[in-house]
Order: sequence, then C-alpha cells, then structure tokens
Amino acid sequence: MPPNGSSSVAAVWAILRKECRSEWRTRYGINAALLFAVTTLTGVSFAVGRLPDRTDLLAALLWIVLLFAALASLAHAFVREVEGHTLTFLRLVASPTAIALGKLLFNVIFLAVLEAITVPLFLILMGGPPVRWGPFLLILGLGSLALAATTTLVGAVVSQARGRGALFAAVSLPLLMVVLAAGVSGLRAQWDGNPVSAEARILLAYIAVVLGASVLLYDHLWED
Amino acid sequence: MALRLLLFLWIAAALLGGFLWAPLVPVLGDTTRVLYFHIPSAWVMSVAFGWSFVHSVLYLVRRRLEHDDQAGAAAELGILFCIGAAVSGALWAKAKWGTYWNWDPRETTIFFLFLIYAAYLALRSAIEGEEKRARLSAVYSVLAFVTVPFLIFVVPRLYATLHPSPILPQGGERGSIDPPIVLCFTGMLVGFTGLFFWITSLRVKLARLERRRNLAETSAA
Amino acid sequence: MSQAPPATAAALAVEAQGLAHLYTGRRGLLPVDFALAAPGVVAVTGPNGSGKSTLLRLLAGLLRPTAGRSLVTLDGHAMPPAARRTMLGLASPELAFYDELTSLENLAFAAEARGDRAPRAAALEALERVGLDTRAGDRVMTLSSGMKQRLRLAFALLHRPRLLLLDEPGSHLDEEGKRLVERLADEEGRRGLVVIATNEEREWRLAAERIELRGRGLGHPA
Repeated sequence: MPPNGSSSVAAVWAILRKECRSEWRTRYGINAALLFAVTTLTGVSFAVGRLPDRTDLLAALLWIVLLFAALASLAHAFVREVEGHTLTFLRLVASPTAIALGKLLFNVIFLAVLEAITVPLFLILMGGPPVRWGPFLLILGLGSLALAATTTLVGAVVSQARGRGALFAAVSLPLLMVVLAAGVSGLRAQWDGNPVSAEARILLAYIAVVLGASVLLYDHLWED
Repeated sequence: MALRLLLFLWIAAALLGGFLWAPLVPVLGDTTRVLYFHIPSAWVMSVAFGWSFVHSVLYLVRRRLEHDDQAGAAAELGILFCIGAAVSGALWAKAKWGTYWNWDPRETTIFFLFLIYAAYLALRSAIEGEEKRARLSAVYSVLAFVTVPFLIFVVPRLYATLHPSPILPQGGERGSIDPPIVLCFTGMLVGFTGLFFWITSLRVKLARLERRRNLAETSAA
Repeated sequence: MSQAPPATAAALAVEAQGLAHLYTGRRGLLPVDFALAAPGVVAVTGPNGSGKSTLLRLLAGLLRPTAGRSLVTLDGHAMPPAARRTMLGLASPELAFYDELTSLENLAFAAEARGDRAPRAAALEALERVGLDTRAGDRVMTLSSGMKQRLRLAFALLHRPRLLLLDEPGSHLDEEGKRLVERLADEEGRRGLVVIATNEEREWRLAAERIELRGRGLGHPA
C-alpha cells in the first residue's frame, strides 16, 4: 500500500503525540529550558533593574532571553533520537517530512509553554509600558514560529554532527538574525504605539520561505 | 602555466594602473584606491557564495562528490575575500567618515555573509564521513541561501528604522567617472574573479586526488 | 524459488543489480546481484564486515547505494526505496525503541503513524505473537535484551508485511525464543518473502536459498 496524504497526516499527529508523551515522562527538555530562561531573566533583571520606559531595551532583552533558551533546548528533539538510536525506528514508520513536521509542531508547543511562563515573568520583573496584547501576541507568535521552523531544520542537521550544543547555536544564529531584528522592532513598535504590520509581514514571509525550502530539504536529512 | 602568469600580470597591471596612473575620484580623494581592492573583493565574495550554493543544489540532485568539493572550496575562498572586503571597507570608512563600523547596509551584508560562511565551514568540519558531510552541508547551504535576501534587504532597513543615523554613508560613486579608473577597476574585477576560479579549481583537484588516494588505500587492504 | 503457488504469495520480487555500498575507509558491501521471489525463506551469510546488515538496510530503503540498485516489485508496482517501509518489516540489532514508553505504546505509535485505524489492537496482536503480551504495559527500559529482541520481531511483523528482513533474529534469545524465530520464519515464508542475515547455522538452515557475501574484511589493513 503506497503512502498517501492521510497516512502522512496520521504520521505527523502520531509523532507529535509521541514527543509530547516522551517529554512529559522525562520532562528533561522543558526543565532545562525553563531553568535556563529563568536564570537568564534573573540575571538581566538583577543587572538592569526595571525599565519603565526603555521600549528598545525591553524588546531586545525579551527576545534575547527567549532566543537563548530556544538555542539551549530546541535541538533536543533530534539529539534525543540520535542518542537513543531510535532514528531507524522512526524512519521505518514515517517519511522524513512527516518526522520533521511532527518535531516542528512539537517545538512550537514547547516554545509556547516556555513563553507562557517566561514572558509574564519578564513583564513583572522588568516593568515597561502597558502591552497592546493583540500586536504583542502576534509578533511573539510569528517570531516563535519562525524560530521553530529554522531550528527544526538546523537541529536535524546538527544532531548528526559532533559537538552539538555550541555548533547548533553558531549555525542557527546567522539565520535567526532576521527573526531577532523583526521581532525586536515589532515588540518595540507595539510598546511605542506604532503599527506592527511591516514586521509581521516580514516574519510571515520568512516563515513561508523557510518552510518552503524545508519541505524540499527534509527528504535529504537521513540516508544512513 | 601560461594562464597563471597571464593572471598575475593582469592583476599587477590593473593594480599599478589604478595606483599610479588613473586619476582620483573627486568625491573620494585619496581613498579612491580602495575601490580597486574593496569592491572586487566584495564581488568575489558574492560570486563564491553563489557558486557554493549552486554546487550544493547540484550535489543534492546528482549526488556526485565533485559538487561538494566545489561547494566547500568556494566557501573557503569566499570567507577569505569576505574578510578582505570587510577589513578594507572598515579602513575606508575610518579614513572617510571617521568610524570603522557603522552597520550601514553594505557592512551589514558583509557581516552576515561572514557569519554564514563561518557557520557553514564549522558545520563541515564537525561531520564525519564524506557523503554525510556533503549532504548535510548542502542542506544547510540551501537554507542559508534562502534567508540571505532577508539579511541583505530587510535587516538593514529595520536597523535604520531603529537607529536613524546622522552619518549615512552613500555608496554611490556614480556619475561621470574617468575612463582610466573604470578600466583599472574592471581589470581588478576580472582579475580577482579569475583568481578565485583558479584557486578554487586547485582545491577541487586536491580534494579529488585525496579521495582517489584514500580509495586506493582501503581497496588495497 | 521460481514456482510460486497461485493466489496469495505471488507477485513479490526483490532484485539486486550490482548493488553496492562502499565508502572510503569504511566496511561496506561489494557489488552483489540476485533475484528473489516470494514465497520462501532466503539466507544471507558471510564473514563479519561483509555487508549483511548493509544489504538489508539497502533493501529497506534506509541507505542509498553507491553503485547499482535494488528493485522491489509488489503486485506489479515498483516500490521506490522511500516507499518500501510501508510493505516491509525490518528487525535488526541497532533498532531501538523509546525507553520511556511501554512496549505497547511503542508499537501502537508505529501502527498509528502508518495509518492503522486500530493501532492498539494491532500492537497487542503483534505482542501476543512473540509472547510479549504479558509485558505490554512495561516500559522498554525495564526489558531484558531477550525481550527487546522479541519486541523487534513484533515490530517487524506489526503491519503484516509481505517482505520480512531479519538481521540476526536469534541474538539474545533463549531456546524458546529461537524456536519462535523458526516458527515465524516458517509462517511468514509461506505468505511472503523472508530474508535472514545471519552467521548462525541453525538460522540459515531455515532457508531454501542462500546468498553468500564475500567481504573485504573489517576495513583495516592487517
């Protein structure tokens, strides 16, 4: 029975559920990420104090904290498979694209959980002008999607190399500059009361481009 | 052999011509001479980037290791020319406007291309196994390439909105430029491009010979 | 193995044409040619490092050959390497499962990902067949190596594939386990093609046909 569209959707969904279940059982990834984010945040708060009106710094610091936490943890989804030698199992059960998309969705949920805890903490500790929730969540959401899309593909590549941790950060960072720039600009704009449509469009275009390229590239990820 | 000599003479002629014979561009004054080095370097850096990308795609499609050799060699040279362009650009900026680095669009582009080159080369050195290295670095190369338009066009504009700068260096040396300058400049452009392709072909030949030797060694075992 | 009984077992053919997997400095598979057809049991033997596991991985579509090609035809359709995982089962020593999930969860996940409408039922059935149903609710990390091997066999049989690739199926198994392997090979060999890669005489005696690989040794000069 040749593979068809519906079995690919089933595969992505099954992989996503499996990832969530595995993560829930071990909680290794999310714990490390949260610890990292909270520690970084505490350090920043301690060093800088409250920033009631510096919207530029607030926007930059929030993204840096999130970026660092993401870089410290998002490769985890693939590294776990490589270290547990479960890649053969996965590859016999689903196509490379289904595997990658399942992991991507997991990374999105992972980031959402991370941000649900980190962002309120940030706002409480650092202060800042009132948040316009619509644009704020839009930029945060799109930026996180962009982060997840990029780091999923890069993570899959780097998990097959040596020296994974630092390499993952170094290899992802140039690509993520776009997300950082648009994300910082967007958050700052919403705090300043300006529209965020330009930044939102940039992030959307970036996501489309990265996902488009990824879908063509996923098939080449694992061949031995 | 003769071609190599011709290339050296060509570059030497263009360089000497530019330094000693061609007049100065009024806007740039004494710093005119950087033209002959900085822009050709940046040009080669872009050519190398494109060459590396094309061969990455070709490798994924055709799976011939020669394409990976080309991609890797082009990247190694590209980063050298990138550093050359960045340093010469910084010196030029200092001489002309007083600061080494301003994050203007050109400097931003060079910086990001440098980061991507460096990441690509770091990735290559961290993967064991020829075909694995070829395949994975090709995947990264394609991903990096599609984000480059954002890095070149979008990010500098975002930076400018965040930090409007009183000193906005314009790169446009357009208008009427004396023919001797154009001649020497074009000569350097062509010469540097020739240099790039020549050295790349040497590195590719080296890689091919190494592979043949490794294959012979293991077959003999 | 050219006379196939009519009805079920016909129309599965596996062919290798100059199939090889050779990279510098690594053990590999020297070019090999063969043509097999269901039903039946075929053994692949050869010294260590001759590429038995590599051959199975190539047939399964997990590896890309460096030369030649493999052809798998099912009911008149050619199965490209990327699609073969849907119609074959592979049990090999490096196959590992998720330690933090139970046997049942691992197999149900596999069935669900393959599009099975009743994944838990399929998983339970496979576990019963290899005698692991009593350990269905136990996490894989608690299983012994013998039980893990049975789990691998269960995984290979999970979606009732027509092509079964078994790499050293008897490893870690006790006497009862080895008899289980013999039974499975016999049953599956009647409805489809079973390929066993092994150096155990007991195992390659199960086969009517044998492919012998000549290796280039362990890849290092003596």
